Amino acid sequence: MAKRLMPKKQLEGVGLTLTGACVLLVALVVIALIFMVAQQGLSAFFVDGINFISFITGTSWVPSDGVYGALPLIVTSFGVMLLATLFTLPIALGSAIFVVEVQPGFGRRIFQPLVELLMGIPSVVYGLIGLTVVNAAMRAIFGEAAGTGAGILSGGIVLAVMILPTVTTLSIDGLAAVPNEYREGSYALGCTRWQTVWHVVLKSAMPSLMTAVILGMTRAFGEALAVQMVIGGVEKVMPAGLLSPAATLTTALTSGFSNATTGSVQYHALWALGLLLMAMSLIFILIIHLIGAKGAKNRG
Amino acid sequence: MSDSLSRRSFLSLAGGTAVALAGLGLVGCGGSSSSDSSSDSASSDSTAKSLSGTVNCSGATSFQPLVEAAAKKFEDENPDVTIAITGGGSGQGLSDVRDGKAQIGRSDVFAEEKLDASDAKALTDNTVCVVGMGPIVNSNVDVDDLTTDQLKGIFTGQITDWSEVGGTAGKIQVIERKAGSGTRATFEAAVLGGESAPADFAPVAEEDSSGTVVEKIQQTEGAISYLAFSYFDDTKFKALKVDGVEANADNVCNGTFKIWAYEHMYTKDADEVTQAFIDYMMSDEVQGSMVEEQGFIPAGDMKVKKDASGTITNA
Repeated sequence: MAKRLMPKKQLEGVGLTLTGACVLLVALVVIALIFMVAQQGLSAFFVDGINFISFITGTSWVPSDGVYGALPLIVTSFGVMLLATLFTLPIALGSAIFVVEVQPGFGRRIFQPLVELLMGIPSVVYGLIGLTVVNAAMRAIFGEAAGTGAGILSGGIVLAVMILPTVTTLSIDGLAAVPNEYREGSYALGCTRWQTVWHVVLKSAMPSLMTAVILGMTRAFGEALAVQMVIGGVEKVMPAGLLSPAATLTTALTSGFSNATTGSVQYHALWALGLLLMAMSLIFILIIHLIGAKGAKNRG
Repeated sequence: MSDSLSRRSFLSLAGGTAVALAGLGLVGCGGSSSSDSSSDSASSDSTAKSLSGTVNCSGATSFQPLVEAAAKKFEDENPDVTIAITGGGSGQGLSDVRDGKAQIGRSDVFAEEKLDASDAKALTDNTVCVVGMGPIVNSNVDVDDLTTDQLKGIFTGQITDWSEVGGTAGKIQVIERKAGSGTRATFEAAVLGGESAPADFAPVAEEDSSGTVVEKIQQTEGAISYLAFSYFDDTKFKALKVDGVEANADNVCNGTFKIWAYEHMYTKDADEVTQAFIDYMMSDEVQGSMVEEQGFIPAGDMKVKKDASGTITNA
């Protein structure tokens, strides 16, 4: 037997200290971040005297004139997120069913790596492609009404492609995790493959599918760069329709900070947007955990 | 036992390295004021050639290429000087120089427009050059000349069709820059005369960068926007005359073309190296050729001047 590097007990202690320190570090970073965002964001309301209600419900965001109404940004953020999910979900689910239930060999060896490749493409590339292809397509389809082609619909389409790998991969994993006995039981009862997928596989994979969708939504909600390039960036009015140019919480943040001086009202208002974003992500995470807990309970 | 020792010493070594690296990083971020002070004594008893230290320069991206080109030459002549140039926008540049995070803050706008009066007063304004801007349209728009009033009408949403200003009928698609951008502030000051567009008028896009404006104006039928002269490219879009005056450097210099702004490099109690670099920016070496190569106008060529409130007087 090889000579021990350390007495067993001491080695245990080192392991405990190292892993404990990692946990402590992560917790520290999270707490420091929350504290900083909250401190800067809340000072918009408590120091600069912006009314919280009018901040949430105001329909115009013009920081240079001191008008801070974040509703257009909130509406747009949710709009592009829902659109992206709407476009992505059927495609992701369809290909996941094909990969898991129809052609597992092809799926695992060729399709999944291909989809995961999409995840590695930087946002700015999606943005550039969106700017040249999606915006041009919008103009070609809708003509003058589309303006430059930039708008909520373009943002939703680009985001749909961006969240496709997340939703697809997680859906594949979710479907693959359904025990084979379920399928065999269904076939034994005389169900066709389609009936098995619809009534048995999808139903029992529901919690993991929901998690896949919500993780995709979270990504869509938080994406800034690519959306910024295709959405038009108009913050001052409520978007009137899917073709209206608009701005999301994240794009308003990224483009606003370069023009704000530290410590100004505008600067604090941007942090308040950040705080709002953080609160939204927290809600998403809570929902995921709730679904996870419910799923675990259902499976016993 | 020797093994256990080596493991422990490895851990402490790794930890030590990490701490040392972090320390280095902090020093790097904070700017090396220590080396500046040490250079004071060194240069006081020798010639100006022995400058050393680091100058942090952040802010507006519009004339960053010019400053980068000049900084490279300056560093070649003064090997011990490092000039760290970062972007971040005018707002960032002004707050960095105010807070002492950077020795030089670049800005497209006067500090008075962004900072408190007392903070702005503490800064020294160095106007290195002038940037001219002009309205541009999609190449298919058959209008070549607009009056200032017509421009004002278009950018406030009063005029919405090209037929109203003598062109073929078609919707005018207004592409704006983001509120707060220096380019937009300059354009609005000169064209809207201090007014801002009504709250319910929404352009078809508000872009963050001039590059995206170039892209969109090319693609969008009936589009109008504005850009700095350095982006002008006849093959991609058409620059308009304003009140019959062509948008070019000569007309800006003699005061007939009104849409222009200074590019500022603000300093606060500049140390020796910083001042040397500012002096270099104002020297013939930069002003003589480099400024024009980058599409800007040397501040010395101007026959008119502008103050922070936008009033133009003869220089």
